[in-house]
Order: sequence, then C-alpha cells, then structure tokens
Amino acid sequence: MTLEAEVQSLRQVPMFRDIDPARLKLLAFTSERVQFAHGQRFFAQGDASDAAYVILDGRASVLLNTPNGEIQVAELGDNALVGEMGILSDTPRSATITAAEPTTALRIDKRVFLELLAQFPQMSLAVMRELAQRLERTNAQLVAQSSS
Amino acid sequence: MVLKNKLWRLFKTERGIASRFGDDIVRPMDKSLFRYIWKHSKRDQLIVCAVVVASQPFYFLSLDLPRQIVNQAIQGEAFRDGNTTAPFLHLGFTLPEWLGGQSIQIFEGFQLSRVGLLFGLSCLFLLFVIINGGFKYWVNVAKGILGERMLRRLRFDLFNMVLRFTPSALRTVKSSETATIIKDEVEPIGGFIGDAFITPVFLSLQAMTALFFIVVQNMWLGLLALGVVGIQLIIIPRLRRELLRLGRERQLASRELAGRVAEVLDGIEVVHVHNAYGWERAEIGQRLYTLFDIRVKIYNRKFVVKFLNNFLSQLTPFFFYAIGGYFALRGTLDIGQLVAVISAYRELPPPLKELIDWDQQRLDVQVKYDQVTQHFSEDRLGPQALIEARKAEEADEPLTGLMAAEEIRVSDSHGGMIIDNASFSLELPASVALIGGGSPAASIMARIIARRMPEFGGQIRIGERDLMQLPPSVAGRRIAYAGIDPILFPGSIRDNLVYGLRLKPLGMSEGDKREAERRIAEAIRTGNPVESITDQWIDYERVGAKDEQDLDRILVDLLDRIGMGNEIYMFGLAGWINPERHPELAERLVEARRRLRETFQANGMADLVEPFDAERYNDQATIAENLLFGVPTSPEFTGRNLADNTEFRSAIDKAGLTDDLVRMGLQIAETMTEIFQGLPPGHSLFEQFSFVGAEELPEFEAILRRQASQDAAGLTREDQTRLLSLPLAYVESRHRLGLLDDALKERLVEARSHVRKTIEMADIAGVEFYDPEAICSAAPLRDNLLFGRVSYRVANARVRVSEAISTVVRELGLLQDIKCVGLDHQVGTAGRLLTPQERTSINLVRCLVKRPDIMVVDGALAPFDEARNLQMTELLLELFDEQSLFMVLPNDRQAGSFDFQMRFRDGQISTERSAGPTPKGEQPEPEASQTIEGEVA
Repeated sequence: MTLEAEVQSLRQVPMFRDIDPARLKLLAFTSERVQFAHGQRFFAQGDASDAAYVILDGRASVLLNTPNGEIQVAELGDNALVGEMGILSDTPRSATITAAEPTTALRIDKRVFLELLAQFPQMSLAVMRELAQRLERTNAQLVAQSSS
Repeated sequence: MVLKNKLWRLFKTERGIASRFGDDIVRPMDKSLFRYIWKHSKRDQLIVCAVVVASQPFYFLSLDLPRQIVNQAIQGEAFRDGNTTAPFLHLGFTLPEWLGGQSIQIFEGFQLSRVGLLFGLSCLFLLFVIINGGFKYWVNVAKGILGERMLRRLRFDLFNMVLRFTPSALRTVKSSETATIIKDEVEPIGGFIGDAFITPVFLSLQAMTALFFIVVQNMWLGLLALGVVGIQLIIIPRLRRELLRLGRERQLASRELAGRVAEVLDGIEVVHVHNAYGWERAEIGQRLYTLFDIRVKIYNRKFVVKFLNNFLSQLTPFFFYAIGGYFALRGTLDIGQLVAVISAYRELPPPLKELIDWDQQRLDVQVKYDQVTQHFSEDRLGPQALIEARKAEEADEPLTGLMAAEEIRVSDSHGGMIIDNASFSLELPASVALIGGGSPAASIMARIIARRMPEFGGQIRIGERDLMQLPPSVAGRRIAYAGIDPILFPGSIRDNLVYGLRLKPLGMSEGDKREAERRIAEAIRTGNPVESITDQWIDYERVGAKDEQDLDRILVDLLDRIGMGNEIYMFGLAGWINPERHPELAERLVEARRRLRETFQANGMADLVEPFDAERYNDQATIAENLLFGVPTSPEFTGRNLADNTEFRSAIDKAGLTDDLVRMGLQIAETMTEIFQGLPPGHSLFEQFSFVGAEELPEFEAILRRQASQDAAGLTREDQTRLLSLPLAYVESRHRLGLLDDALKERLVEARSHVRKTIEMADIAGVEFYDPEAICSAAPLRDNLLFGRVSYRVANARVRVSEAISTVVRELGLLQDIKCVGLDHQVGTAGRLLTPQERTSINLVRCLVKRPDIMVVDGALAPFDEARNLQMTELLLELFDEQSLFMVLPNDRQAGSFDFQMRFRDGQISTERSAGPTPKGEQPEPEASQTIEGEVA
C-alpha cells in the first residue's frame, strides 16, 4: 500500500472529502502508517489526545468504561476516522479504542494536523462543515427523541 | 606545645618553599614596557646583542671589499709600481703616532697575480656574504624565540590577573574584551619584544658603520649624509605623533567591537524577541564606520610620512651624484671612492628606514601596552592567592568545632545596613537553615560563609581559625558552594563533576621524557606553571575511590541519588564507546545484542525491529544506509555529501544503480514539489518531513522542467547529484512513495559489496561497516544494542523497544556501564545542551563529590518543583549527616528538619536549635527524614 492508496482512503472520510488531492497527499505524507495487533490499544479512555487515526484496513472496537466494566459501544471499519474530536477540542480521550483484528491505520499527529488546518483555510472549512453537519444531525436526533 | 612546635617547623620549611616559588608571585604589570622586557629577558637580549656586535666587523669588511676589488684588482693600483704580484689577505695595522707609530704585521699574506687577486677578493666577498647571512639567520631565529617566550610570559601574567579580578571589577569587565586583549592585542607586543633592544642596536650599528665608512671615504659627503639623516630622525617622529593617537583610538574601537559582538551573541534571544535586528545592525554598522574612518585617517597620515621619508632618503644620492660627481670631475675624489661611497650609501637608507619604523612600532606598542595594563589596573585586582604554598598543609584540618560570628556588618549599595552588628555561634558539624523571609540577608550570609563575599565587617571563626584567613587550597577543599546559577564548562559531564577534585597534580603521566623536560624548561624560563594537564590531577583517595572506574561508580551513584539516573542512562544510550579502550564492555554489549534479539523472538516482538543483515535490504533504513551498510565517520560520507562523493558515485555507477536512483530522485522531487507547494518557506513541516528545503523547491522545479524537455541522460552531473541526494534519504516504510520493488532492493544489496570494496580500495577512513559480532564505534550505543532499525510500521514500537532494552540491560548488569558512558555526554557551552534541572544536579554533585566539611546551598534548588525540592533537601540532609550543611530557605516549611534555624530580621540574626530533632550524633537521623516524608504525603 502506498501513499496513493492512503490518499484514496482519506478521500472516503467525510471530513476530508472536499479537500484538494495535493493537500490530502501532504496529510498522508506527514502521517504515519502503523499496524496494531489484535487486541492492541490505539489509546485508552482518559489518555491525552495526541493523534487521530484513519482505519485503512481492519476493524476496531470502541469501548467505554462503566461501573459494570468495559462495554463495547460501536465498531469501526475501513476508512473510519477516530480520535479527531479529542485533538480538535483538546480534551482527554472519551473512549478506549482497540483493534478487533490485525489492523492498519494512518496516525495523524495532532500538532501536524493543527498546523495544516492553520495553514490551509480550505481544510479548516472542510472540518467545520463536517462538524456543523454532525451538530445538525444531533439536533435532529434530539428533536426526534423529544417529540416521540 | 608539641603541636605548636611542629607547626612552627612546618611553617619554616613552607616559608623556604614559598621563597623558592617567589618568582611565581604575580606582581602588578610594570608601567613601562621596556622595563618589563628588560627584567625578564636581560640575558637573552644581551647574548643576541653581543652576536650582533660580533657580526659588525664582517659587515664592515664586506662594505670595503667592492672598493678593493675595483681599485686594486681591476684598476690595478696594487700593481702600480710594476709589481707582478700583490699581497692577498695581508693582516696588519699601524699604531698611532703617540704610541710610537710602529706597524705591526700579523700575517704577510699570499702573493697573487692580478687575476688571482681579482678572484681571491671576489671569493672573499662571497665568503663575507655567506657569513653575514649566517649571522642574520641566527639573530632572526633567536629574536623570534625570545619574542615568543616573552609573549607567552605576558599572556600568562595577564591570565593570572584575570583570576584575580575582584567581584566589583567583574561587574564592569567584559569577558570578550579581556579575551581579545590576551589573544590579539598583545600579539604585536610579542612581535616587538624580540626587536625591542636588538633592532635599534643592530640597525644603528649598521647605519653608523655605513656613515662612518662614508665619512672615512670623504668627510664632506659623510657630513652631508649625516645632516639629512638628522633631519629624518627629527622630523619624521614628530609627524607620527598624530598616528599614535589614532592608533590608540583604533585599538579601543576594535576592542569595543569585539565586546559588542559577543554581547549581542550572548543576548541573541532578546534580539530575536524584540525584533531588534535593525538596531543592532545599525549599531555594528556605525562601529564599523568609525573603524573605517580612523583607518582612513591613519592611511592618509602614514603615507604622507612615508612619502616624505622616501624623498629625504633619495635626496642624499642626489647630492652624492651632483657634488661627488663634481669633485670626481675636478679630480679631488677618485672614482673608486665615489663608487664605494654610493654603494655604502645604498646600505644606509634601509637601516635608517627600519630604525624609524622601529621607533614608530615602539611608540605604537607602548600605547597598546598601556591600554592593556589599564585594563588590568591594580584597583581591579584582588589580593594575590600566594599564601597558598605557605600555609596549605598547616591548616588542612576538618572545619569543625565552634563556629562563632562576631559583629557581622554588611551594607547595601545605598549605605543601608543589611546585616547590622549581628553575632551568632553554633557547634559544627550541624545542619543550619538560613531563613531570609524575603530579605537578601540570608543569601548574603550564605555567601559570606562560603567565602564568596570578602567585603563585610566583623569576623567569623571556626574553632581557632579565622574563616577569611583560610588558605584558598583549604577552603577549596573543605567548603563547597552551590549558588543559583550553575556554571558549567564545555566538556563532558564527567569533566564538570570532577572539576573540584583537580587541586594539584599528584603524579606525572608517563610520556616522552625529553619532550617533558623541554616543556618544563620552557615553563620555568617564561614564568609559566610546570604542571601539565596530562598529569594525574584527581585525588581518588580523597573521594574514597580506588581508581578511575571506581570514581565513575561514585559519580553515577550520586547522580542516581540526586535523581538524574534516568537522564544519565539516556545519555549513555545515545553515547559512543570505543571498543579498543573498553574491549570487555564491547564484548558484553555484543552479548546484550544477542540477548535482545532472543527476547524479541521469544515475546513475539520480532517485527518491532528489523535487524541489519548483510544479505537483506532493511526496509526501515535509508537507501544510503543500505548501500553503505555502515555508519559514516567523516563528513564526506554524511548526508547529502554522499551523493557528491567520488568513491561512492563510482561504486553505484559500477553497480548500474545511478540511473535508477536518479529516476527515483525525479519522482521524489515531483511529489515534494506537488505536496509542499503553498506552504510558506520556513514552515516547521518542511524541516520535519520534506526531503527538500523550502529554498530548494524552485531549483528542483527547474530541474524537473529541464528534464521534461529531454531524457534523464541529458541532465547535467550537477542535476544528477542533486537528484541523487533525495533517494539516499528515502526510507520505504516511512515515506511510502512506493519507489522500491523487490528487484531493486536486491540490486541495492548486491551493490553493498561494490561500495565497500571501492571505499576500502581508496583507503579512506570514511565509513565504519557493520559487523554483527563487533561494536560499531561510530554508532550510538543504542543502535549497537539493537543492531537494526525500529519499525515505522508497528504502533508504539519505539516505547516497547526501549522497555525491552532496559530490561535486557538490567538483566545483564550493564546499567552501570551505560551510565558511565553517559558521563561522557557533552554539556555544551555553559551547559546549554542540558536542561536547567540537569545543570543544577551536576552543579550539586560537583560539590558533593569532593565531600566538603561545609556545604552551602544558596538557591541552587530553584529550578526544581516543590516536590523535588523537598526530596533534594531531605537527600542533602542525609548526605551531610556527618558534615555541615548551610541552606538558604525561603520560608519555615522545611526548616524543622535542620539542627539550627537562623532567622534574619531587621539586620539581626537569631539562631535557635530545632525543637524536634536534636543535633546530629545524639539522635539517629531517620526520624527527621520521616517527618519530611509525612509532609510530602
């Protein structure tokens, strides 16, 4: 798998959909491709947020600590972006992510990501658009919940 | 009584030694440069002068010979009376009338024919030329050595004075200016010293000989020449006075320039922060203009004087030709005489000119010397540390007993009293907390106890001895002071730690004995120290160490205790070892390398590290590393220079790789120009990720355009080199551009042997090749342990590998050795390569290792946070269980653990014994530390 393939994967991520191919290439180039063994942690709930990950190949589980122990709340597949909220809001990890099988991911370093956002307004806009859409969806869900 | 007698005897013998060392005592500089030179080089100056005088008869004879050749041999005066032969080498003289007028014959001479006489005299002339040359050679060498010796003495004297600058002088003295003085400004003085007495003697003798010769030939012509010379000697120096003033100005201005440049460099951060570039540029520009202006004035003046001088010199031959020619025509002067006068006169201007130059130089150098002595004027210098030799042994006993301070008075710069007639007494050893409560008094008291502040009133006694009267050698050994500003010298951590242990050489190192004798003889001649820094200076016994290794162990142990163990371990891993010096350690490291590999295999971590294998391509390493299969040891093989290296290029040419690599370079350049476009130059992402610097992007774009219009073969060699440098830094698994396939990797591996052979054939030590069974001294220790590269692909690989390394290191008992390697870590200028905490730790350990009787800590713990601060205080109390510890504390919080609390209020000192833990020796210490731990928790 080469840089080009990673750029293709990034393109599938909604947040990066509208970004210039050259910028996506820069994003991919400045990121690291890392492999996780089955069961290896990406990060743990409460850790400092230092990077976001795009899953290139494999699956990862999202786990939450509850009084009754860890429970799985979701599973992430190819081209899923995870951990981006933490690095944008500068808050600790809200969940634990572990690889559900041998998984390859693209690790986007927080500092590099923020610098790219600062440098290229087009990237910032794309991120904002995605965040706004998420908020809208949440609002819609809330409305739906309260009316039901 | 017995003791007293013994001391008296000691004192007497030491006095004897002191007087023997009398020459070492640094006296203030002589006001006059000539007195200084005469005092220290009388003997040599006189010897050289004697030789110069001895050479003069030969010089005179060589002047007389041309006349003899012309008159006697060519014109045949000697054969006038029809003689067919004339005496050659006839030696004899006639006594003056009043002694009887007899002529005395020493040697009758050989009877020679006219041609024989001509050749005889010519050969004699040649002989004298050689003799004169020989004299000149000897005199020049002797002068050079003499000057250099005096320069060495002068520089050393000045450096000695640097060590004596008083604290108040140090506030105004600029270090860079002082360095310039010792290095540059005295240089011309040194050059002059060799000429100081000899040149005037030599030159005036020459000039006088020539003049005398002219006078002998013809009185009037001689007087004429004498007159012109007189005018030259009177007028020229007068005209040069202005030059001296300008020279002085120039010296000061250039010294200040050096000082200013150093200031800007030291404070460069402030310049960056406040964007003061413009101001600083203008400042320096102005100074340079001043220098230029002074120089122009100097040139104008100098060349006017030169013109005048030349004119006057040429005036005399004008008279000779005109007047001498006239007399010759009239027949009052024979032509031979005129030729001799003129040829003698040719000898006159050069010594005259040089004499005038010498005078100029003399004044110039005297000015310089005055400026130098002003910089080191007496009021800036403290008392000499010369008691040293006398009392050292006598008073070297532990500093324990009753410490009594009486009527201590310290005032601030406005005359207010900081400490006003305060007294205290306490029994040492003890730990004392000096609690200032915001006033500077505590810190000042600490400095007084550490003898860092000599200006105070009153007296402090320890037992019978006055603290301030302790000889420096005793104080240096028994008192340690750690202030707020840890001062480190460039060098390794070890060098800095043992700095306080180097009091005097304990034994001579073994080396070339004759060379050592020569060195010592020179040192004695020039008033320099006879000790060599290659001698054995460290007193291992005093710190309780058996040898070098044992001392290392003690140092590492102290660093561990003070909390720097992990840093030292990291420094050690990043450090280098020399397998020839530590063959045993090298072997154990290779063993650890094996064990590490096994650990990786056994724990399923094999994919974390890709080992170096001579037969396989390493995906985690750069192409350059894969091709070299070793570590470059010279800059020619490092980084981008490799692409330009002839041997390397010819090897990859032979392997047929150049075209492939250039093609890769094109692809990389293409990608880089594409993805880094739009980033502003200097952006941190460039530095971190790009193969190409921002400023190089346009150049590579140009290469790409050129290449698009033709094929790769059309690229210039320069373009090729540039392109080649890109793939050399390429790591497939990190950069993921997909440029390497298995076939190419195989060819790269095959090319290794070509590269190695070519480099070895060329016989240049540029690369140290990897060998699985040996330590590579060019690679850091960590790389040697791994003997491979950590995978970029596996998540968290680096952390896990580090953990594995430290486990194996611990298992094999290598921790201590690696930390010892860490002691070699360089601290950089003023320790700038270390963090403030590390600098402080090293400063403290430097004090601790010499086991002082009294340790004074004055704000040294400031860089640490509160928790570390508490730990350190506790540690210091523990370490100084048996000795005394004075520590300045900002408040009462930790004071309870000390034996005494000394409080400073309104210029008074109150000392009270701690209520809790009683003084040492009466109650075990652990309780005190337990209370501290309680507080921490």
